[in-house]
Amino acid sequence: MTENVLNEIMALMQRYNPDGKPLEAKTELGADLNIDSVAAMDLIMEIEDKFDIDIPMNQVAELKTIGDLVALAEGQLQQG
Amino acid sequence: MNDVTPTANERLPFRAGDFVTLAEGLDYAARGETGVNFFSTRGSLETALPYSELRERAIALARRLVGTGLRRGDRIGIIAETSPDFLAVFFACQYAGFVPVPLPLSINFGGRDAYVERLRGMLAAAGARAAVAGPELVQVLAAATEATIVRFTATADELMALPVSDEPLEALGADDACYIQYSSGSTSFPRGVLVTQRALAANARAIATHGLELGPTDRCTSWLPLYHDMGLVGCCLTPVMCQTSVDYLATTAFARRPLVWLQLLARYGGTISFAPTFGYELCARRAANGAARDLDLSRWRIAGIGGEMIRSRALTAFAETFSGCGFDARAFVPSYGMAEATLAVTFSPLARGVRIDRVARGETLERERLALPAGEAVPPSQSRSFVVCGAPMPGYAIEIRDDAGRVLPERHVGRICIQGPSLMEGYFRNPEATAAVLKGDGWLDTGDMGYLVGGELVVSGRTKDLIIVGGRNIWPQDIEWAVEKLDAVRAGDVAAFAVTDSLDRERVVVVVECRQTRPAEQAELRHEIAAVVNRLAGIECEVVLAAPRSLTFTTSGKLSRAAARDHYQRGVLRDLDAGAADEAFDGSVEPAEPAVAVLAEAS
Repeated sequence: MTENVLNEIMALMQRYNPDGKPLEAKTELGADLNIDSVAAMDLIMEIEDKFDIDIPMNQVAELKTIGDLVALAEGQLQQG
Repeated sequence: MNDVTPTANERLPFRAGDFVTLAEGLDYAARGETGVNFFSTRGSLETALPYSELRERAIALARRLVGTGLRRGDRIGIIAETSPDFLAVFFACQYAGFVPVPLPLSINFGGRDAYVERLRGMLAAAGARAAVAGPELVQVLAAATEATIVRFTATADELMALPVSDEPLEALGADDACYIQYSSGSTSFPRGVLVTQRALAANARAIATHGLELGPTDRCTSWLPLYHDMGLVGCCLTPVMCQTSVDYLATTAFARRPLVWLQLLARYGGTISFAPTFGYELCARRAANGAARDLDLSRWRIAGIGGEMIRSRALTAFAETFSGCGFDARAFVPSYGMAEATLAVTFSPLARGVRIDRVARGETLERERLALPAGEAVPPSQSRSFVVCGAPMPGYAIEIRDDAGRVLPERHVGRICIQGPSLMEGYFRNPEATAAVLKGDGWLDTGDMGYLVGGELVVSGRTKDLIIVGGRNIWPQDIEWAVEKLDAVRAGDVAAFAVTDSLDRERVVVVVECRQTRPAEQAELRHEIAAVVNRLAGIECEVVLAAPRSLTFTTSGKLSRAAARDHYQRGVLRDLDAGAADEAFDGSVEPAEPAVAVLAEAS
């Protein structure tokens, strides 16, 4: 996992972390941050726009943690 | 790249849904140039599929499906992605004599396991013999077929690779089923609405001729999911029956970039589009920064609203935001319908916009169930504003009944019962659930509460416990069962319900009787409950940890969610954190008052 993508995504995540919880790669998106399905779409969009990638929607159900998100973004970047 | 299909057919005369079966409707539409178009998440055209090509693909698939050993009338589960493949397989079933069962998509973080369970429940209830999905979801679907009688799971491409069968094609006929829609019921007991060809044809015809006054210059734009009636019947099957071109944006794409919906409408001259209130709300919110200034929405003549309680304030905000784009608020068409009626029952008169009925709150409304108009002098805090949803279409009728089944006069709140040519025959293989709503006299009890004013329907709430958030139906049992699986929670300790905030939005509350006494344990439990609910349904909820024996049960031992909600709203049922400050509060609760105290509830 490259520092760069991780850092960028961590920066995006701040808006979804109103309680200011410490964020790590293993922080769970739904369980820890309580991101609901509408906010989840906002987040996905921001990541897509930031890195100019497309995240396949079917993969969202498999995403649990910030680390998963970073790995997916990196995967799409390499394909891109 | 191809161009989109044209709005009007050059030579083929327009026919407003006067077909007996869906296959017959597509046969006719295939003689023209119109069709369906699919767009990427950013709004670029991916596939233009004229109805002629859709029909060819459907028949090619049908010729292969009939050779797979399935018998006529067998059900085929299809994940209803907004894609050419879904439509092709759905119509292949029509031509081959199989009954398609559109299955939902899921987009919750980490929600795969819950999704597989949900699919499995539907496949099992439908007795599906085959299952079809796009390449990205076919493995999830295959996992869901374990322990069902599904014989094979495939993508459309894999089906196309099968040999062509010699068996003659015999399309689903006028007396046959058309599809089964699983949009209600819990994971363990899904309820599938069996829609017949006759019901579909009748509803499509009524929608086209009376509801929308559909003509050859209309064009439909839709992001609605194709596993719900509004998306499937309203924005897919009715257009096929009327040779109307449709521009599709996937629901997930809309959720990410709602304004693409409006961009497509503007670019291709969409005249008709439907959404639940939250769709309009999302657009207004996203456009607040001026992102949508250049759109021309002046050709949009029907901005339909349905699918959940209609919230007028959100619509006003939308109209204000987009008035500079030529959006005319008179284009709003509130409507009422449900899968059990195939789709539509009422439409507001076209070009009228949103009509509000403002009624006085208080004893008259809540105890006597009388919705009396609030005069000018009544402040907003003392009144409720309901949206008027129009009169039933010709051939349909509405009665408001009390709990004893007596028909009530206008402005009396009661159970909304409907009659018409497109009522379902019943829930598939579920006579009990069917008997609970179809009364045998040709009327269907919708489970909604409302009243009539000037012959038009006003929906004021629901009698059933169903939770609807963001247009999605969530069964409270699913939430309760998932929470009960936590180690610290026992069966029967949980009640899930929705409460409506001052903006008429629904918020989910989960009450859990808590036996943990240490604050750290309680905090952990709160976290786990919120996490479970999020994984299951992708929603945020308010967790209320209550003292043991806070929840009430009916005499037959059934959890009373109505009582839980009532106690919560009256402040009797409180969180342990709140209760700790109040020494007099011992966690016990008075027995439930008669449900009549809560307008929207009946047991």
